[in-house]
Amino acid sequence: MRNILFIILCFASATAFAQEDLDKLIHIEDPKNEKVTATFKSGNLINLKTTETIHRNEMDFRVDHRFGDIAGSAGGAKNFFGLDNSTDIRIGFDYGLLDNLNIGIARAKGATEVRQLYEGNLKYRFLEQTVDNGVPVSVAFFGSTTVSGMEAAEDKQSAASFTRFSDRLSYVTQLIIARKFSSNLSLTVVPSYLHRNYTAYNDQNDLFALGIGGRAKVSNRIALVADYIFPFRKSSNKKYREEVSGQRYYNALGVGLEMDTGGHIFHLNFTNATAIQESQFISETNSSWGKGQFRWGFSIARRFNFNKK
Amino acid sequence: MNKISIFSIFFLMVLGGIAAFAQETSSLVSKETSITFFSSAPLEDIEAKSTLAASAMNIKTGDIIFRVKNTSFQFDKKLMQEHFNENYMESDKYPLSEFKGKIEGTEKLIKDGNYTLNVKGTLQIHGVTKPYTAAAVFNVRAGIIKATASFPVRLADHKIAIPSIVGKKIAEVVKIKVEALYKQ
Repeated sequence: MRNILFIILCFASATAFAQEDLDKLIHIEDPKNEKVTATFKSGNLINLKTTETIHRNEMDFRVDHRFGDIAGSAGGAKNFFGLDNSTDIRIGFDYGLLDNLNIGIARAKGATEVRQLYEGNLKYRFLEQTVDNGVPVSVAFFGSTTVSGMEAAEDKQSAASFTRFSDRLSYVTQLIIARKFSSNLSLTVVPSYLHRNYTAYNDQNDLFALGIGGRAKVSNRIALVADYIFPFRKSSNKKYREEVSGQRYYNALGVGLEMDTGGHIFHLNFTNATAIQESQFISETNSSWGKGQFRWGFSIARRFNFNKK
Repeated sequence: MNKISIFSIFFLMVLGGIAAFAQETSSLVSKETSITFFSSAPLEDIEAKSTLAASAMNIKTGDIIFRVKNTSFQFDKKLMQEHFNENYMESDKYPLSEFKGKIEGTEKLIKDGNYTLNVKGTLQIHGVTKPYTAAAVFNVRAGIIKATASFPVRLADHKIAIPSIVGKKIAEVVKIKVEALYKQ
């Protein structure tokens, strides 16, 4: 009798074994070193660049615009809250040589004494954050050279009183370090170095700065973006310049909304920086949020794909 | 009596093990599994394929399973791939898509030949599970079973929202094609 029980038990276990879920037979291999995608949705936050690059054979056409002061002495209803003025306009084209290497050209109006800017730039993302955290951050190098095409100013104290061609050049070098903490939150730190061959009298040729920024998703297509840049200007230079020009230096702070319409990225932002280019907003933001000297800005970017198929 | 019963336990365990092993072979794992989808809309045709999918079937019970990691789908345009994962599939939240079902009439698959059999089951995409039935073609040759099936999936059924601005680029109903090659 017992034996029969054993037989039944044993066969029962054998059958259960056979019906073991097919689940366990299949396993999906995780692609090795899978990269984190979409840390940011576009190559720019508001004032800062991001680690994002466009892919090989893609072109990004981008128009940035900064209006005049919304409030304060230069804003208000008389110039329709700044919409009558534009402090800076930049039109740029970027092209993907590789998935992680972009080159670009741009023309900007310029918002300081130095105007009519032509820019050549390069962005190289040499490290990409991985899903398994083997690589915890993405890191990109951004470098740009800007040349001013304007007529040299006569005032010898002016930053635009060029005497040689090389006086017209300025260089920006940034290391963009970013991490996507979750699908909803990405943060970035941007150590920056700016070199201007020629500056206003008693200003600094070399300037270090630290930028921080982030993006928080509100919905699938809308995100809040913000960035802040802190330049390390020598206090003696700063004091002198502020006394001579009668203008104070401020740190650029931008906050905005980023909307992804699928192909278009539309930014609606507010910042106290009048200039769009790194070579200018890092060193010369003379407007203050506290005085109502912030402005509406927008940018429209459109990506074109030249890959076959 | 005691000795005999210990012996019989041992014997039966071995027998049970053999039986389990014999049964095990009725489960077939696919060596090559691919899943492709096609979206045909007025402005754009989109095709993406994953060759990193996995599948297994049981030739006795007819049970069949497919599973694929959404981020493994490869698109010609990488920006589309990013949108696919970020905006539509939300691959962070729902990393896998899965089909679990039963093949009707698997006893035929013992002999070589071509068979069209119905497969009934549930498909989970974007965290939403829906019942599906599709006709699958099984090609059996020397113990190797090649299976292919194709069926439509309505994106709205799986709560995948297409904004009207890109409505002419993405089809409301996409065609899914699955291929698997089962070997013993």
